[in-house]
Amino acid sequence: MCWQELWERRGCGSGGYYTGGGRQRLDRFLIRIVKMSLRKQTPSDFLKQIIGRPVVVKLNSGVDYRGVLACLDGYMNIALEQTEEYVNGQLKNKYGDAFIRGNNVLYISTQKRRM
Amino acid sequence: MPELVDKCIGSRIHIVMKSDKEIVGTLLGFDDFVNMVLEDVTEFEITPEGRRITKLDQILLNGNNITMLVPGGEGPEV
Repeated sequence: MCWQELWERRGCGSGGYYTGGGRQRLDRFLIRIVKMSLRKQTPSDFLKQIIGRPVVVKLNSGVDYRGVLACLDGYMNIALEQTEEYVNGQLKNKYGDAFIRGNNVLYISTQKRRM
Repeated sequence: MPELVDKCIGSRIHIVMKSDKEIVGTLLGFDDFVNMVLEDVTEFEITPEGRRITKLDQILLNGNNITMLVPGGEGPEV
């Protein structure tokens, strides 16, 4: 059996890996590689990365705090600087330094753009 | 042993919380407590008007309040 028949059988088309069925397989393979290597980021990696950045911390109560992340720990206890407190989207208070107990935290988000 | 949630890493996921809130984003990773790191996140408050808040960049979502995960989900219909 010549290589051409083999190639057709595998659904690769006459262009080799870069056309038809061969291309799809290549794409799927590459997508899997990209998924696996580009971005596996666990919470602890994330926490190390964001220190010093401006963040939004939302509490279970719905209150929002925006400030620069000074430090945090594995319990999601947070220390912020230059903090603004938003309740229902409205600025309520400003604090130079704020400490938030982690059990209240719903999420911590970095902010590139305002809502 | 790879878990079911591992398969969602890299895809869109829709997260329903205990309260009337849902989060849609791309799953970057998670830990043993199912705290989740997400990207390109939209936050939905489920009210009669269906309020929506869009945030960019990355968030760490506390796993404490998560009720349900929907892989590939788009979120509530609005």
